[in-house]
Amino acid sequence: MKIPGYNSPQRMTFPNWLLSWTLALFCISSAHALNDWDSASADLARQIAALSGPGTITLVISNRSSVANDDVPAIRRALERELRSAGVVVRQKDADSEVRVTLSQNMQGWLWVAEVQEGSETKVTMLPLPGATVSGTTTSAPAIALQANLLHAQSEPILDVAVLGSAAEQHMIVLDPQHIRSYTLQGGSWQPAQSYDIPAARPFPRDVRGRIVPAADHLFDAYLPGLVCTAARPGESWTMNITCIDSDDPWPLGSQKAFYNAGRDFFTGVVLPGFGPRLSPFYSAAELAGRSSTAFLFADVNAQVHILEGSSHRLVVGARDWGSDIAAARSQCGSGTQVLASAAGWPATDSLRAYEISGREATPVSAPLSFDGTITALWPASNAASVIAVVRKPQGLRYEAYSVTVACSH
Amino acid sequence: MRHTVSRWPAVISLVLALVAPVAARTRPRYGGTLRIETRSDPLAPPDGIARRLLFDTLTQVNDRGEVLPALASSWESQGANHRWQFHVRGGVHFHDGRPLTAEAVVQSLAAACNHCAWHVRAVGDSVIVTSDSPMPGLPAELARSAYAITRRDENGNPDGTGPFRSAANSNGILFLSANDDSWQGRPFVDAIEIYTNRSVREQWLDFSIGKADLVEVPPEFLRQAQQERLPLAVSAYPSDLLALTISDQHVRDEHLRESMALAPDRAALFNVIFQKQGEITASLLPDELSGYAFLFPGAANLARSRELRGGQSIPLRLIVERSGSALQLVAERLALNLRDAGWNVRVVPQTGNSDAELALRMVHVEASDAASALRELMANFGAASRDDGSDPSALYRIERTFLQSHTVVPLLYLPRAWGVSGRVRNLALSPDGTPLLANVSLEDAK
Repeated sequence: MKIPGYNSPQRMTFPNWLLSWTLALFCISSAHALNDWDSASADLARQIAALSGPGTITLVISNRSSVANDDVPAIRRALERELRSAGVVVRQKDADSEVRVTLSQNMQGWLWVAEVQEGSETKVTMLPLPGATVSGTTTSAPAIALQANLLHAQSEPILDVAVLGSAAEQHMIVLDPQHIRSYTLQGGSWQPAQSYDIPAARPFPRDVRGRIVPAADHLFDAYLPGLVCTAARPGESWTMNITCIDSDDPWPLGSQKAFYNAGRDFFTGVVLPGFGPRLSPFYSAAELAGRSSTAFLFADVNAQVHILEGSSHRLVVGARDWGSDIAAARSQCGSGTQVLASAAGWPATDSLRAYEISGREATPVSAPLSFDGTITALWPASNAASVIAVVRKPQGLRYEAYSVTVACSH
Repeated sequence: MRHTVSRWPAVISLVLALVAPVAARTRPRYGGTLRIETRSDPLAPPDGIARRLLFDTLTQVNDRGEVLPALASSWESQGANHRWQFHVRGGVHFHDGRPLTAEAVVQSLAAACNHCAWHVRAVGDSVIVTSDSPMPGLPAELARSAYAITRRDENGNPDGTGPFRSAANSNGILFLSANDDSWQGRPFVDAIEIYTNRSVREQWLDFSIGKADLVEVPPEFLRQAQQERLPLAVSAYPSDLLALTISDQHVRDEHLRESMALAPDRAALFNVIFQKQGEITASLLPDELSGYAFLFPGAANLARSRELRGGQSIPLRLIVERSGSALQLVAERLALNLRDAGWNVRVVPQTGNSDAELALRMVHVEASDAASALRELMANFGAASRDDGSDPSALYRIERTFLQSHTVVPLLYLPRAWGVSGRVRNLALSPDGTPLLANVSLEDAK
């Protein structure tokens, strides 16, 4: 499928090494946590030694935190080693002092508390440690699998992410309600390059949405409710020149352009060039190529999914489990284009699932890909071979943008 | 009252099962009116349910205790936290259309903080706060609704910048309408109606027949509601502290106060009256905030209590500062515990100028970071504390020193919970259990 003004002029790739790199980072962070016990144990040992002074102690460790119980023996060994080096010897009994170490936690992270008892006097020392948050996605499916690759995370809402440029020089654009930011891939990690403050004359809606659309004659356009920002690059430089204007121009959705209700955050149903009759207002749409004619699916605001193909307009069967967000992704599997849909309902953990559309029937072809949060945005990526899913994680209100691709299982 | 209410959860479950939505739409829809019922004044500080809807603060604190921008878009400290500069967000307007300015913020903070140790002034678009002593926790402190930014409108009523504006207040119903120009975006629902002074029984009845979307579930009924699988929203951590206070004016001897402090059987209160909801505490801060609450032992010690009492047996009066059958039961049990320790105690009704030796108090903790919460709690108990930052060891020392005076005996931390109707979507509670209604949408909104 070649869509003028929609596809990136340069093919965007998500190489396997990027996924491997992400996984490696995850492993490294886990290992880092173990190494941190040594460092934390050394810090706490010093604090204990400062209270007890050189001599002998008994040591009891209790764990009332999310630290794995399997880690406690390692923490104990590290503590004993560090205490020894500070002149404090741990005994089973008959010691100068009793030391009780409690591995606790609060909202900020872990808190290790040591109570040093000498006679009737108890002294207390504490060591706050940043808590680790471990998150991930699960992928399993019999025939088609969805793979998620974390692109970016931040505390501000992410509206859309686009990766532009060539394999040799990649740039990531992140759109949030207040900024357009660019990042450059350097040494395997994205480094901040440029930030542009979006000048909004009026507050955006509470569930603000936005979309980055690569352009043929300039870098990209960013669509926000009532606003369009155009990014150009002077010459070969990746320094962006961005200008934003108030605009009610329709947003590109595949080969169609759809007018957007800037006050209520849905598409009005008026699309160009359109299909004849006006559509009902909708939240999201997906365009399916590779059929006898291009089909246009849209999820309306009344929780129904429609399919427009040729002159026929029907409701999709089998879309009862779909949420409000759908997007299409091309792949080497099945019909070559799958529809990815968020899950219905309001679970704490949202999911994406791939469907094949045959006639008017939607058939699930992958297992759900679960996320530790709610999907707040789902757009086709600029290469059309993946989708960008933004997940809002309840813990600390963190937003994460993933590139989700469809992989065939052989 | 308990027997009266107890049948309703089953009825409510049935009703909700019948009206449970089947739609798959997951994006919020705009429109509709949300109906809430409460026992208390929705505008009463610090935790009235309407306050966060009408008013904003300079900062806000998330459920991890991180301080985030609100009406202040950014801030920085200078002079080792003796001076703070808050940059006031541009383009924000009060509900009557007047712009939010640094001067307006200064007037509001000055009015809210008569006894604060800091001085506040406006410089351009910034608000400067200075103090003789360092204030490392000031940004978190300013997130409390006590420091909500308000100004008087033409009629002398407080006006704010919040997501809802006050439309009317009559016959015990507070009518709020969506603020289309809210700086955080227009709320999803068009209006909120808050029915005040409704007993729990009345609230649950209205809930069961679909006349209320959000009703209170007191902690003593929470277990029952959970067993009946009622749709509930429960605070992230228990945020209401139940405490016994001992007047040091009446009981000057510290050992006698300690004797009284050792008498309460917290486990009995927790297990019997509150059906194991919340947590037993002998510390001021909930364990979720401090992480060190276990350092304060809470077991009763009658032998030591009697020993400390010696031969003293002054008559003690115990008052309950808030109405409610559960609290009355708690007071009676405490009196029993104290009598077991040899004290002569009777529970007396609170009158206008009650000046009893003992009081049972329920104190709400709004702040969701440990340092601010400790200052808030101590201020509630009439004690000042310095802003010494958020170091747990320092907070522990402050708390231990305060509790060693035995004027406040923490007993239980109780959660806040709400019954939520099936048409309410995306209801979240602030860490202290206050419903965040600006992000709520209604399933059947047209």
